[in-house]
Amino acid sequence: MKGTQLGEFEEIVLLAIARLYDDAYGVAVVEELSDRLERPMSLGVVHRTMQRLEEKGLVNSRFSEPIAERGGRSKRLFTVTMAGEQALREARRIRNELWDGIPKTAFDHLT
Amino acid sequence: MNQNHKPHKNRPPEPPQWAERLLTRMAAPHIRDEILGDLYELFQKRTLRYGVAKARVLYVLEMLLLLHPRLWRRQQQASSPLKQSVYSPPNPMTMLSNYVTIAWRKLKRHKAYTLINVVSLSLGIACAILIFTLVDYHLSFDTFHANQDRIYRIYTELHREKVVYSTGVPNPLGDAFRNGYDVADKVGRIAFLPKRVVSVSPEKKFEAELAFADPEFLDIFNFPLLKGNPQSALRERNTALITDRIARHYFGNEDPIGKLLHIDESLVVRVTGILQNPPATTDFRSEIYIPYSNLQEHSPWMVEKDWWLGFNKEMQCFIRLRPEVSPAMVESSVLPAIVNKYYDKENAEFFHFKLQPLSDVHFNPSLRGYTDKKNLWTFALIGLFLVVTACVNFVNLATAQALGRSREIGVRKALGSQRGALFWQFITETALITGFALIIALVLAYLALPFVNQWFDIELVLNPLGDGYLLAFLLALLLIVTFCSGAYPGLILARFQPVLALKGKLSQQSVGGFSLRKGLVVGQFAISQLLIVGTLVVTSQLRYSQQADMGFRKDAIVILPIPDNKKAKISTLKAQLSEQSGVQDVTFFDSPPASEAIGSTTFRFDSRPKEESFNISVKSADHQYIPTFKIPILAGRNLNPSDTIREYLLNETAVKALGLASLHEVIGKNAIINNQPGTIVGVMRDFHFKSFRAAIDPLCITTKGEVYNSCGIKVNPANLGPTLAGLEKSWKAIYPSFIYKYRFLDEEIERFYKLDNMLLRLIQLFAGIAIFVGCLGLYGLVSFMAAQKTKEIGVRKVLGASTSSILWLFGREFIRLLLIAFVLAAPLAWWVMNKWLTSFVYRIEPGAGIFGLTMLITFTVALLTVSFRSVKAALTNPIKTLRAE
Repeated sequence: MKGTQLGEFEEIVLLAIARLYDDAYGVAVVEELSDRLERPMSLGVVHRTMQRLEEKGLVNSRFSEPIAERGGRSKRLFTVTMAGEQALREARRIRNELWDGIPKTAFDHLT
Repeated sequence: MNQNHKPHKNRPPEPPQWAERLLTRMAAPHIRDEILGDLYELFQKRTLRYGVAKARVLYVLEMLLLLHPRLWRRQQQASSPLKQSVYSPPNPMTMLSNYVTIAWRKLKRHKAYTLINVVSLSLGIACAILIFTLVDYHLSFDTFHANQDRIYRIYTELHREKVVYSTGVPNPLGDAFRNGYDVADKVGRIAFLPKRVVSVSPEKKFEAELAFADPEFLDIFNFPLLKGNPQSALRERNTALITDRIARHYFGNEDPIGKLLHIDESLVVRVTGILQNPPATTDFRSEIYIPYSNLQEHSPWMVEKDWWLGFNKEMQCFIRLRPEVSPAMVESSVLPAIVNKYYDKENAEFFHFKLQPLSDVHFNPSLRGYTDKKNLWTFALIGLFLVVTACVNFVNLATAQALGRSREIGVRKALGSQRGALFWQFITETALITGFALIIALVLAYLALPFVNQWFDIELVLNPLGDGYLLAFLLALLLIVTFCSGAYPGLILARFQPVLALKGKLSQQSVGGFSLRKGLVVGQFAISQLLIVGTLVVTSQLRYSQQADMGFRKDAIVILPIPDNKKAKISTLKAQLSEQSGVQDVTFFDSPPASEAIGSTTFRFDSRPKEESFNISVKSADHQYIPTFKIPILAGRNLNPSDTIREYLLNETAVKALGLASLHEVIGKNAIINNQPGTIVGVMRDFHFKSFRAAIDPLCITTKGEVYNSCGIKVNPANLGPTLAGLEKSWKAIYPSFIYKYRFLDEEIERFYKLDNMLLRLIQLFAGIAIFVGCLGLYGLVSFMAAQKTKEIGVRKVLGASTSSILWLFGREFIRLLLIAFVLAAPLAWWVMNKWLTSFVYRIEPGAGIFGLTMLITFTVALLTVSFRSVKAALTNPIKTLRAE
């Protein structure tokens, strides 16, 4: 399905949003990903990816109340939509199928 | 968390202010808060982890990484896919074709409206095209030479009481410049000899423009050879280069190379090369080029000795400077150095040499340029006026008509048309009309081109496909005219309130811009009146110049050339001519009483120690000159027939310039004029010996048989035909090898004003077109008014209004507008025409009569136009107009 095709990074960000569930916003996602991927992550990249995901209809967003720690500004909180979930499952399925297709002996020679 | 850093409890550290502000400016509104918040939060966390300084650096880094179109892109484009899929993407082509269809229908329905617009626009545009071609033609003169910005002509300025300019330089100057100074790549002397007799065989004779030129001339200017060797061209004596045109004319299809040409019976040259025909846009009109070294044999008087004191306007010197040499430097050091080297102290003060850029040659009237650039700009301005007038018509008619389309606009708006769409729809309609007009205008311009060429004696061509400039001009014209005339009515149309428009409740007031329309009409009439005043002033000045008493007799005088002025031939010719019955007087001279160009020379009076500070012009003529041209002698007597005793006749101005009180004081005194001592024998009344542009200067007449080149014959106008035939017969018997040509003196004088006459005809034409176009617009406006007022007129008539009072209803408005236009145009016209008249020393005063006449003309024309339509409206039977209600 064109348009909902997930890029690799998009998939990771979408997964992070899903994991964070009710507190998925820019900084939280950046921190989550920096921790998990063990490499520094720029806000700009994450931000643009989330915008793209929203345009594709894979996530929804809403604004929180203004928060003092953020200099009185609100968060944009993201939640995964049905389409998002579908896309994730689809990606997972493809990966699983690929994994399943690997013959048992494929990695043998490496050890 | 970080222990060594203790942020203040109440005031947390702040991220860099400037970065925040920058982001606030850049970020699109819908993501601004979110981004700033995220960055702020990150900053706080990083402050705790790494300290304020590092957090700040990271903040700026994050900000740089945020730079991406998504940061400032507005929300519309980030809309959800749902919204995008409801409407198909807009297709501009379908829309445009719909616009064209609608516009076409509209134009077909309102035929009169379309016709008026197309006619006025095409007239205006046709004039603009012609004027553009004309201006472009003149601006492209001699622009096809390589390095033309480095080509200059050296000219002479003679500083006496008045500064005299000459295109010519003394003969040795070219060599002195070439050999003594290393500033020019190429120095080429050239002597132009107009209208010489060239014969191929005794039977085949032609008149041709001749030039004697240095070989460098061909290096400086881009006149390529079709045949012959460019290296040896103009180097070998007694050879000639001829243009392809002349070659075909003389030799037909024969090979011209090696053929002999006889020039004026004094020189025989062999054709060694064929020049490509020069383009029409060059001032170098010579058709035959002969090496400069041959000038000695042909016209020894032109290259007499190493004479630094004489110069001839036809003996010119062109140079191409080295790229690094500035003309200012040459003018300020090289040329004065030449003057100081070759002239004695006294003459060094008089002689000044200057450089004239090639681009100035065509446009400098004081150095015999064809026309002043000012004239071209005047034409361009007139062209602009005409196009503006046509646009004004369009705006007027279209706004007036806008009301009639209110229903259409209402429906369109109700169905969801945007303002922009309506505006563009109207612009399409305008573009269609303008496009039509442009095509018609091109056809008109094509048809008019031969006449323009004939009037101006030029060779304009109109080829929009081959001429990039013209094509660009046409496109620009199309765009500008479309927008200038379409934009305002388009805006008005697009502004209609749909409810009011559908209910038909829009009135002329709500269309608005009535005062603007009035202003436009005033402008139109002001332009017409300006042009009419111009026409009248130019006409009366030219009539004055041509019909005023010039101080001598000029009618029924035939002038014949004297190709050979040996005494024996002249006396034979005189004897033969005088015998004929129709001939009354015969005189021989070097120039007729009025001639365009006349040189001037030094004058030393009586026993005064120094030469006078003014120069005096000299005419050479025999004793019959005074009676033939009926020039009154005020003191003393006429010249003696004798040629050996030098006698002078002065004019009044010369006596006044000498500072003498009485005319009789000069009689019998000695005078040295042009280094020739003689006696002053008489004083003649002043006459205009140049055109009316120039003041009467000091003049003297003396007998000098060796320079006579013309013969003036007063004939009896009653029996002209046989007399002229008789003249030709006697002349041909004496000069069998020359070409017979006669001119009349009065025609000759008319030629002084050739350019002015052309100007006059064009202004007349343009004024006519401006008035016509203005009237078309007026007619359209009145008919619209009449249509609007149908009911009003009906009611008025029922209530007893007379026809004349209804006519007055229409007329008074326009009369007021005309008056305002006149008040605006009159002072402007007066100022402009006075400026033009200052180029004449003897001129008319643009008086009240001219302005009155202008007023009368415009009034009559406007009233005729208005009444043409309003009479019909006033005579309509009210039953017809009121019945429908």
